[in-house]
Amino acid sequence: MTRPEFEIVIGADGKVTVTVHGARGKKCLEYADLVRDIVGREEQRRLTADYYAPDGQVRIDAQVNQHRT
Amino acid sequence: MSAVCVLTPVVVASWPAISAAVAAAAASMGFAVAAPQLHKERKPDRRQVETLLADSTVLAESFRPGDRIRVQKGDVTVEVGQDARGRCTVCVSGSGLSDRELRQIGDEVAGRIVQQYTYHKLLTELKARQFQVTGEEVLADRSIRVRVRL
Repeated sequence: MTRPEFEIVIGADGKVTVTVHGARGKKCLEYADLVRDIVGREEQRRLTADYYAPDGQVRIDAQVNQHRT
Repeated sequence: MSAVCVLTPVVVASWPAISAAVAAAAASMGFAVAAPQLHKERKPDRRQVETLLADSTVLAESFRPGDRIRVQKGDVTVEVGQDARGRCTVCVSGSGLSDRELRQIGDEVAGRIVQQYTYHKLLTELKARQFQVTGEEVLADRSIRVRVRL
């Protein structure tokens, strides 16, 4: 599982743009809210396709053994 | 990435915290902290423009009336203080500059004060929550880019 990472850009005019990586769904929103609560007021929020991806990853290893009799 | 947020900082801070942000902003713009001016003498050719730090509140208990921080670059002087409603004021004065030019300097200084305040607040709060800074750089447009990881 990847660890969440923020990229924070603080503009010369003080505006802040935060990009959350490595978190999906509800967890991603919790991280975005955390930064918003520290900084101040949210002007805009955009969710990307990754946000809607399922939380867990499923790995399927398939193996077929053929035994001829 | 999974979410992108655009935020406007709200500055609610003690006077020492604001003074520190002013000093850092001033240094990044080539201004130097100057001694407070006890007797204000108004030169006739010197214009003055005052602007407000939007969404700012200086905590009353940390501020004494008359507290101001003054920075200077060449003939331009910027004084940061507080108005009657507790908001941060940025007063720019200089000779040979129009009101528009002075206002532009004031707006730039105000933005950089908010930038420095937000930078320090964010890093302090995120580090307290066990986040680690993995990268930091100042971009060509003077933005600060910080990467943090849990």
